[in-house]
Amino acid sequence: MTTKSSRGGFQLLLAVTALACVATLQVIAFVAPVEASMGIVQKIFYFHVPAAYAMYLGATACFVGSAGYLWKGTRAWDALAKSGAEVAVAMGLMVLISGPLWAAKAWGVMWTWDPRLTTSMLSVLIYVAYVVLRAFTGGGDAERKFAAALGVLGAANLPIIHYSVQKWGGNHPTVITGKGGGITGDMRIALISGFLTFTLLAIVLLWQRVRIDLAASRLEEAEQEALELGIGED
Amino acid sequence: MHTNSFFGQPSSGTAAPTGTTSPDDRATQFRPDAGGNQMQSGEKLLVEAYAAFWLIAFFFILLSWRRQKRIDERIDHLESAIAKARRAGDRAEGEEGDR
Repeated sequence: MTTKSSRGGFQLLLAVTALACVATLQVIAFVAPVEASMGIVQKIFYFHVPAAYAMYLGATACFVGSAGYLWKGTRAWDALAKSGAEVAVAMGLMVLISGPLWAAKAWGVMWTWDPRLTTSMLSVLIYVAYVVLRAFTGGGDAERKFAAALGVLGAANLPIIHYSVQKWGGNHPTVITGKGGGITGDMRIALISGFLTFTLLAIVLLWQRVRIDLAASRLEEAEQEALELGIGED
Repeated sequence: MHTNSFFGQPSSGTAAPTGTTSPDDRATQFRPDAGGNQMQSGEKLLVEAYAAFWLIAFFFILLSWRRQKRIDERIDHLESAIAKARRAGDRAEGEEGDR
């Protein structure tokens, strides 16, 4: 049940996240310098990379929730898995939209079948499949277990995304994970702000979806009780 | 014959670099940049990317908020109906006991 204190905590977190978003935009716009070779379009980086990291967070939540559901079989673990997959899809879409817009300027093409791009798209498609599966199949235990298996197996692609650039090369920049000059000074501040903001955003979205899923299971129980008492639909 | 100029003059294959074009050529011929990325405005792409971020985030939050509201309303309605039915049932049982 949603208590007043948890609702208050959620609203506080939502307010802090909104403030963090505004502050990060200020830092990106006015503190982070324009990159020398790519120009202003490189500022997509400060949201693109944190969005990819938030996609990992969502996918990790889906993995943990799925494994927990397979182990314990409780609705709370299932709610975490489902919410994690939804957050991974939302963040993955942000990555897959912003990346090509940046690439259009930096590479001259919106998309190439680069290892990191391909594996990232594959991961987003796995979580889209998970969300579609949950939306269009019943809420029975068998469906939940099948989805949990997909949630566990889908996580196998995450380390492949991370190491794809080191293993197979490609065009994708490696300023954070590579051994080059990386980023310094104000660029680093903007990136850290982006990471903090997207961590908060991922937690807010995850918390909100878990609350909804738990409320939906409470609704199912109330409907069952109403049926037993012979209360009609009005 | 393959041509690439605006006036249909024969092409010798790849276009000469822009730096070698004489003022007369520039006046009589337009050639696209080989890279192609100059067609894109960095500012426009940046705004598009940030608009996509906010649209996805707001859409996600709005959808969740509406769904939460709908579920909460339905739960409140059902719980009050259940409580009402229980009270009516208790009253009926009490009356039965009095008799």
